[in-house]
Amino acid sequence: MTNMTSLCRAVLASAGLAYFAVAFPAAGEPDLTGVWTNYRNPNAPAAARGTRPQLPLTPEAKAKADRYVEVTTGTNYTPGGYCVGGGMPGSMLGSGGYPMEIIQRPEQITVVYEAHNEVRRIYFGARAPDPATMFPERNGFSIGRWDGDTLIVETSKLVEQVDTAYPHSDQARIVEEYRVSEENGTRVLTAKMTMTDPKFLTAPFTMEKKWQAIPNGVVRTYECTEPDWLDLLDRLMKGEAPKS
Amino acid sequence: MNKSAIVSIAMLLVAAPATAVFAHHSAAQFDFQSPVNITGIVKEARFSNPHARIILQVTDDKRGTRDIEFEGHSRNNMIRQGLMPDMMAVGDTITIRIAPMRTGEDGGYVTALITKDGKAIGNITRAD
Repeated sequence: MTNMTSLCRAVLASAGLAYFAVAFPAAGEPDLTGVWTNYRNPNAPAAARGTRPQLPLTPEAKAKADRYVEVTTGTNYTPGGYCVGGGMPGSMLGSGGYPMEIIQRPEQITVVYEAHNEVRRIYFGARAPDPATMFPERNGFSIGRWDGDTLIVETSKLVEQVDTAYPHSDQARIVEEYRVSEENGTRVLTAKMTMTDPKFLTAPFTMEKKWQAIPNGVVRTYECTEPDWLDLLDRLMKGEAPKS
Repeated sequence: MNKSAIVSIAMLLVAAPATAVFAHHSAAQFDFQSPVNITGIVKEARFSNPHARIILQVTDDKRGTRDIEFEGHSRNNMIRQGLMPDMMAVGDTITIRIAPMRTGEDGGYVTALITKDGKAIGNITRAD
């Protein structure tokens, strides 16, 4: 692959196609392109169902998070139940059961989390838009850079979320460090995530997440609001009034 | 950054937190430890996200004939379990294995489709 990459670069460069030539990972940077699922340690028992992680929340944040748990526990009221994505860092930390796909180009890495069709765009260098033009959103605004073979992603422009296992305010910042390794012939991707938040956290919160590659894996479309639309369409076609 | 102040939680196996984030509803209403088989005529089978919905016309001595709605995995995860929409066509008589409602009411969570020769397709052990 490396030889092919070099050959392609040489051919493209000689043809003056500098823009396209950068479409290949630079030397030393691993290509993360592909489909990834939760890492499974073959020597460890299956994981038990987890509990909510304990974040070092400020009193204000804890009150909000506790209230969310109070009003939703034992109900079907979840963002996903309403076709709303988890948002960072939940979208990243929770991906894998529903796989994620990474599409890597030098100027942008696109991450598709199958669940809820969540998409993150990680911009590099001059490709990055002016942050002032970006709306805050559940997955924020992400800038990437390479430090040797480590991908570093810094995310800001988040919205306040208590409807998550990882409550945070709109002041939160998230740094992810991704590295690829190989274990027993399987490609493994590890992310070390640190979230800081002057409003919601009394200390940085870190977690580690691991995935393993699914060769020729498939991420499926997660169409979620279609049933509601089809119900409405069915009523309209029958001449019935829409449900209020 | 004061490393001693960092709260660190290692996640070598992450399926559990994944469910904490993506579980679409409380699974407490379903008894996954006491699966039962239900046979009925498919009235509706909607493979959709975030959940599948299966309506069977069921007849038994206890409650007579009625339509019962069952919930299932998301379409994406139903397919990953080998459960395809054409296995539950409207009008077909099928047998499904479910995690029944803890209350004893009609309904439940689909955990498998039982073929005519008794084989189970799917092995769902918890709600997604």
